[in-house]
Amino acid sequence: MTFLVDLASVTVSCLVLGLASKYLRQTAIPAYIIAGIILGKSGFDLISSEASYEFIQWLGRVGVILLMFYIGYEFNFKGIKEPGRLFAGCTDFGVNFIAGFALGLLIGMSLIETFILASAVYISSSAIVISSLIENKRLIYPEAETVVWLMVFEDIILAILLVVLTSIMAGSLAMIPVCLATTLLLIVFTFILIKRLSNFISPLFERDDEIPILLIFALIFGFSAIAYLLSILLPCHISEVIIAFFLGSALSGVKSSRKLFEATISFKNLFLTIFFFSFGMMFQFQFATLFSAYFILVLFALITLSVSGKFISGALIGKRLHGSLETGLRVGAYTTPRGEFSIVLLAVVIGTRTGNYELLVSLIVAYVIILSIVGSGFAKHGDRIGKAITGSINKLMKSER
Amino acid sequence: MRISELPEIGTKYEIESPKGDKVAVIFLTTGEIELYVLEAGAEKPSVTRLTPEEARRVGSVLTGALLTIEHEDVEVSFSDISDLRINIHVCPVTKGMVGKSIEDLAIRKRTGVTIIALSRKGQSIISPPPETVFEEGDLIVALGEREQIKACAREILGQV
Repeated sequence: MTFLVDLASVTVSCLVLGLASKYLRQTAIPAYIIAGIILGKSGFDLISSEASYEFIQWLGRVGVILLMFYIGYEFNFKGIKEPGRLFAGCTDFGVNFIAGFALGLLIGMSLIETFILASAVYISSSAIVISSLIENKRLIYPEAETVVWLMVFEDIILAILLVVLTSIMAGSLAMIPVCLATTLLLIVFTFILIKRLSNFISPLFERDDEIPILLIFALIFGFSAIAYLLSILLPCHISEVIIAFFLGSALSGVKSSRKLFEATISFKNLFLTIFFFSFGMMFQFQFATLFSAYFILVLFALITLSVSGKFISGALIGKRLHGSLETGLRVGAYTTPRGEFSIVLLAVVIGTRTGNYELLVSLIVAYVIILSIVGSGFAKHGDRIGKAITGSINKLMKSER
Repeated sequence: MRISELPEIGTKYEIESPKGDKVAVIFLTTGEIELYVLEAGAEKPSVTRLTPEEARRVGSVLTGALLTIEHEDVEVSFSDISDLRINIHVCPVTKGMVGKSIEDLAIRKRTGVTIIALSRKGQSIISPPPETVFEEGDLIVALGEREQIKACAREILGQV
């Protein structure tokens, strides 16, 4: 029964810190990670046993699967046809990915670590960005559409990055194409199977008993399990979260699945919170590294670089799509928060092998905690920041003349 | 009117007036509705969040459509026909009416009011035929000018 005690400490600590951050009008993601750090391995080690640690991690993994399923389901390609959108998405990716990549190489990380770092730097937090658009009453402005679209585009890139990164992590160079091919085949298989079965599935979704919810979880876990079994069978890594993403995307085309999808959202919220906790909990916190001047310098450089990266990409997008630098700077400000995706990406790609990637993991955790808070601040005052920067640019231009 | 999809947020409907004022209605995925008003040149928009029920009421007022208010008079005016004002009266049948038909009571002849609908045990009968017999618990929807409605309340319903 010690599981019960541990579950109580997980939920209570997340509740307390989560509530505190909501009162402070902050995003709750860092609160959950910090709760995990305090209670976990590098903190007070309050989780009773190794088995409990594993159990909590498992719940967390379910959270990530449900998150990706959610994104896949909500995902729609329709917006891509609007003018300038492809440009916006690619600019956002190009500028920010390259910024992260350059810094990774500069501090002497391996190519793969650099790749992970660049991905984590690129991807904004949809959860924070979207809720801050609503809370700060920005929805009436045209740039809100651009920002929301950028979040959708980042989801596409996230799926692609995950496929590529997990394949690269397979180990031997020869296995990379095998992994890539298997993953793609499995995605195609998922789509075809769901399409074939849709006439059989959709009446089941219309029932009022427990069958629909069982069915949707059977599908989610079933397909995730196929991915897992395949990756054991072939010695390579096929990520179950990618399959969950495409399963969601395939299911969104099935009639009367929407109600059930909505029923999974509260499960996603619960288990995703446990995921952030478990991530903090397993985090190997080393004071010596974390407070070394080198680490702080790198972290500072990383944060400066990624904030200015988003402002630059935002400015380019604003100029092109809205014909205004100020609007672009607002787009930049709204997209600065990083959060769940950077952590999810890291966790999915390197799994639990945190020991080998100590610097990278510490760097990204500290980075996300700081940028989720600082970024929300930027998003909140986006209009003022945009005005201030354009104001000072105009002044500069005048004095040059 | 511009309509745009905002994934994970909802659907946005936007209108800009010639003066440059903007009004946007956003149907959130949560089912609630946000109403934005941005005056031309204003720094910040005003926003209110409505439940579907409240939004429907606001919408009814704006379109001049029928309102669903029980035991109450509703006056409907139309933006295109400025002198046309129609009163709609909703009320439960009174004791004196039970067991009699619309024809028996000669409602139209005596008062000029038309019974346009009848709600019986949760089901609506639109344009009930004259031989329809009133039952206890029926709600009637009567249409006419203000004076005609008053006459109906006095003579048929027996209200003072």
